[in-house]
Amino acid sequence: MTARSVKWWSLVHKWTSLVCTLFLLMLCITGLPLIFHDEIDDFFQSEVSARELPADTPQAPLSKLIDTAKARYPARFAQVLNWDQDRANVVNVFLSEVPAPPPGKRLLKLSFDSRTADLLEEDAQEGGVMRTIRVIHRDMLMGLPGELFLGAMGLLFVIALVSGVVLYAPFMRRLEFGAVRRGGAPRIKWLDLHNLIGAVALVWLLAVGLTGIINTISLPLFNAWRAQVLPELIAPHLGKPPLARFADIDGVVATARQALGGNVPASVVLPTQARFGTPRHFIVWTKGATPITSRLFTPAMLDAETGQLVAARGLPWYLRVLQVSRPLHFGDYGGLPLKIIWALLDLATIIVIASGLYLWLGKRKSRQLGMQVTDRPTTVATSGVTS
Amino acid sequence: MRRVRRTAGDIFRWPLWLGVFTAIGLASALLGNDGWDVLSWVALAIPLAVLGWKASRAT
Repeated sequence: MTARSVKWWSLVHKWTSLVCTLFLLMLCITGLPLIFHDEIDDFFQSEVSARELPADTPQAPLSKLIDTAKARYPARFAQVLNWDQDRANVVNVFLSEVPAPPPGKRLLKLSFDSRTADLLEEDAQEGGVMRTIRVIHRDMLMGLPGELFLGAMGLLFVIALVSGVVLYAPFMRRLEFGAVRRGGAPRIKWLDLHNLIGAVALVWLLAVGLTGIINTISLPLFNAWRAQVLPELIAPHLGKPPLARFADIDGVVATARQALGGNVPASVVLPTQARFGTPRHFIVWTKGATPITSRLFTPAMLDAETGQLVAARGLPWYLRVLQVSRPLHFGDYGGLPLKIIWALLDLATIIVIASGLYLWLGKRKSRQLGMQVTDRPTTVATSGVTS
Repeated sequence: MRRVRRTAGDIFRWPLWLGVFTAIGLASALLGNDGWDVLSWVALAIPLAVLGWKASRAT
């Protein structure tokens, strides 16, 4: 590599890193508790579990749960029903205050025992420290613009990683892998640690960085899909009066199960004015059984009046990529040991970012003092010309 | 410091292998449970162990 190209890549590395540094630090720090959010949530607020009953106890009709929820809150609107991911035999019904709740609006969650139809608990899903941390991590409390901004910062981070790899070679020309030179200037030690951690964690950093970027565009991606799919579904019903009677939800779920044999239902969007559904359809979201297919959701659309299957198609490739990229960002797909590994790598990332910032600050200071610190490879070493 | 010039192959050999282990670790827990999870933990622990070993060693 020529001295000129080393200089160019140094500039790329410096500026892409500098611009995203503080945001990346924020993401690493808020991300750390989020890795363990399930454990933390359980610790502070244990959710009520369903009772122990014989394994062959039949499930209650879903319509009974919805009727109970509606009877309890007649002024509210039942929007979604889901099978609890963490609690066996628990089904949650979500109610909104208005017919078309805006995106991100918290819904009132009623949890039922799916066999006895007993109401277990109510959760307004408001507040909470972990929720605030999550929103800061996602969009810094600024909604979609904040989310897209963090996506741009993630892009700079990935460019910084790539330029770091390019610069790694000239820096390591005379050093063994992982050599940490101590006893000299502290900058040298931190430079070596910066290079070491970067080299070791690179693939993880790229994976979490890229999947994070993909997550920031999830809302636009889902909107694009909706804009593509929904008009066609709604077209036959335009201009017709609102439905007075709806198909039975248990029949709807049974039909969806049959249509998507290998999958199990995860949630049902009831006919709604809200943007996540349509007034004329039930949407049954189903998922597969393996770790990877359980992240891939396939929707079945059923007519709200007749309960007949209208469409059951897999999602387009970009939403599949999005769905698989979620676990790779969160590290929540391999039990507690994987979460601990995620946390350790997150801490390592904080050291890389902080040491990078320290090296930059130190260089400015030494330049002001007119000192020359030999942390850079010599021109001969970087030029590739044999000395 | 040793006066040895190292080739690109020398320089990237370790990072490349650690990257391969990381990739195996990231993918395997996605593919299955139990054994796949254990493979994932082991594969991802290797780069962390190398990091701990190198960082704690004075040259």
